[in-house]
Amino acid sequence: MIVKYKPKRNWLQTIFHTEILQGLALTLSKLFSPPITRQYPKEKPPIYPGFRGQHALVRDPQSGTAKCVACMRCAQICPSRCISIRYHQEEETSRRVMDSFNIEALRCVYCGYCVEVCPVNAITMTDIFEYASYDRESIYFDKEKLLSNWDDFMSSSTYDQSSYVNPFWRPRGLPESELTAAKRVPVPDDWRIENQFIGRKARSKKITGGE
Amino acid sequence: MLSKFIFLYCALVIVITGILAVRFRNPVHSVLAVLVLFFHMAGLYLLLNAEFLAAIQIIVYAGAILVLYLFVLFLVNIRQEIKTERFVANHNISKFISFLVFLILIAVTQSFRLGTPGKWTTDAIRQATHTKALGIEIFTSYILPFEIIALILLVAVVGGILLAKQDKQEVVMAQKEGSGSLTRGGKK
Amino acid sequence: MQILILLVQIAILVGVVLLHVAYATYFERKIIGHMQVRMGPMLVGWHGLLQPIADGIKSFFKEDIIPEQADKPLFLAAPIICLVSMMVSLAVLPFAKGWALADINIGLLFIFAMSSLASYGIILAGWASNSKYTLLGGMRSMAQVISYEISLGLSLVGVMMLSGSLNLTQIVEAQGSSFTGMYIFTQPVAFFVFFVAMLAETNRVPFDLPEAETELVSGYCTEYSGMRYAMFFMAEYIGMFVMASIGVVCFLGGWNGPFNVPFFPPIWFILKVYLIMFVFIWIRATLPRYRYDQLMTIGWKLLIPLALGNIFFTGLVKIVIN
Repeated sequence: MIVKYKPKRNWLQTIFHTEILQGLALTLSKLFSPPITRQYPKEKPPIYPGFRGQHALVRDPQSGTAKCVACMRCAQICPSRCISIRYHQEEETSRRVMDSFNIEALRCVYCGYCVEVCPVNAITMTDIFEYASYDRESIYFDKEKLLSNWDDFMSSSTYDQSSYVNPFWRPRGLPESELTAAKRVPVPDDWRIENQFIGRKARSKKITGGE
Repeated sequence: MLSKFIFLYCALVIVITGILAVRFRNPVHSVLAVLVLFFHMAGLYLLLNAEFLAAIQIIVYAGAILVLYLFVLFLVNIRQEIKTERFVANHNISKFISFLVFLILIAVTQSFRLGTPGKWTTDAIRQATHTKALGIEIFTSYILPFEIIALILLVAVVGGILLAKQDKQEVVMAQKEGSGSLTRGGKK
Repeated sequence: MQILILLVQIAILVGVVLLHVAYATYFERKIIGHMQVRMGPMLVGWHGLLQPIADGIKSFFKEDIIPEQADKPLFLAAPIICLVSMMVSLAVLPFAKGWALADINIGLLFIFAMSSLASYGIILAGWASNSKYTLLGGMRSMAQVISYEISLGLSLVGVMMLSGSLNLTQIVEAQGSSFTGMYIFTQPVAFFVFFVAMLAETNRVPFDLPEAETELVSGYCTEYSGMRYAMFFMAEYIGMFVMASIGVVCFLGGWNGPFNVPFFPPIWFILKVYLIMFVFIWIRATLPRYRYDQLMTIGWKLLIPLALGNIFFTGLVKIVIN
């Protein structure tokens, strides 16, 4: 890194405080620039794909209940151990049936690993983020609440319920062939991870007008 | 009539706050009593048409000197009174002496008589405003005492600077001896 | 009868000034907000116009907490001393020709005396709260006021010499109604010294060390709450108003303007005061706080010599012209 020092002030600049005057000029020019404030409760922030908001269990359009197969992967990968699942095994088909599915959202760190690891796209994180509450019970999500979260999300957004697949549901860095069938569902082109721009990349993209 | 009343009020408050300043246990409260005293002295000056002196009384005494006293008190930080024995074992003697002095003062006031009015009568001062009158007097007839006072103040300023200034050699020697206590905290 | 009229005038002046104080806070918050590319208060009323009133009601109904170890009488008296001494100096300000409550001969000295008294409120608040932060804030304020009062007084000596009076009305009249008659053109150095000293006297940024919130929580008013805190706030804003008014009277030609406004003569005075207040706020939005030793260096080594030199130079020019 090249450190560039400011040139020394000469006596004229010292007497007339040119640096202070420069600062004053800057603040005065900013006085007439439009504010960048977002008046939040009136004006909602834009939400991009991959937003990790309120949890939901995806309701299967055919059966009308959760898609979950009780494989326990999400409960195992969860770093804050906030998911607890109970299931029983059916005698004849030896299929696992999920009995209860609880997420303690106050402990959740919103890493999204559970969503990435789910083989059947049964759990997701919605775009809803305004669910603060005065009591703890309403933020302790059980199965019914999680399913109704999904219904709320679907009714509040314009996404198609049957084909909604977020690219951020997919574990990163794995080739397509190693993913489960549900994870290989094609997504719209601008939803692909390769076309998502975050941080510095997004800024340079915006400047060049690449949208 | 009104001016007499105001004078009595000011005089009374001056006496009371004077006593309070001595009597208060907390030095900060004493200083505040003196502050009130200065204000009423300024009131007395106003009664005498000396508005410049009144303002200067407040600015210099109340605004600067008393603040410096407070500064010293804060730095020393005497929250509680220092409980010491009386300086004089039998303080009744001192009470007696001060009573005598009081009597003498009363006796002396009997011989008070007004001097002959000079160039600056009350009307003349009112005409020229007090500030102007004072300025003219100081810078013409009393220029020598004025300059002498200025010289004395200069001596005081020089003395103060000399006391506050550190001897460079002392600092160097102290550093050589390995005790950096004379240098200011960590600044080189 | 005359006393009654005077009382009514006093009531009007105090009411107007308090309302002004309330809206000066709004003015400041809005301007600083926009300078920081924010919006400032927006929710109470149209564009937050009722915000100061909401603030006032809030502070009025807040609990008044007195620390257990505080010196109670002084703790209660300090904000009142501060506010009263600032308000009293309003009496001598000439808002327009003949619009001064008390047109006394030593108007300028009176304001100095009252502003030095206001510093007692701050000092006593600092001491009486019995807390380290407040004590440090009070001591800083003390040292700052003593140092800068000298340069403030000396900077105005040039104005006194030119106008030959301490009466604020006569100072304005001595400047005449022409634009070039303003003393800012004949006394630019004095105006600079006055302006910097004025910032320091009113504890404004960049000299707000007595209430440096990054180091001293809130300085001398750390332990205050509710209405008493609001009193300090009001005193500070009235102090700003008074100092800005002195600047207008002594350097910017007082109530004189390009043309006379028929029914409301103080309009030019008020506009000029608001110009100076705007610069106060502008500087607050721009400059960081000075370090304490820098503050003292500016006061003693720069401003006082400048002011003294200005007095000497003014006297010299006056002698040469005469």
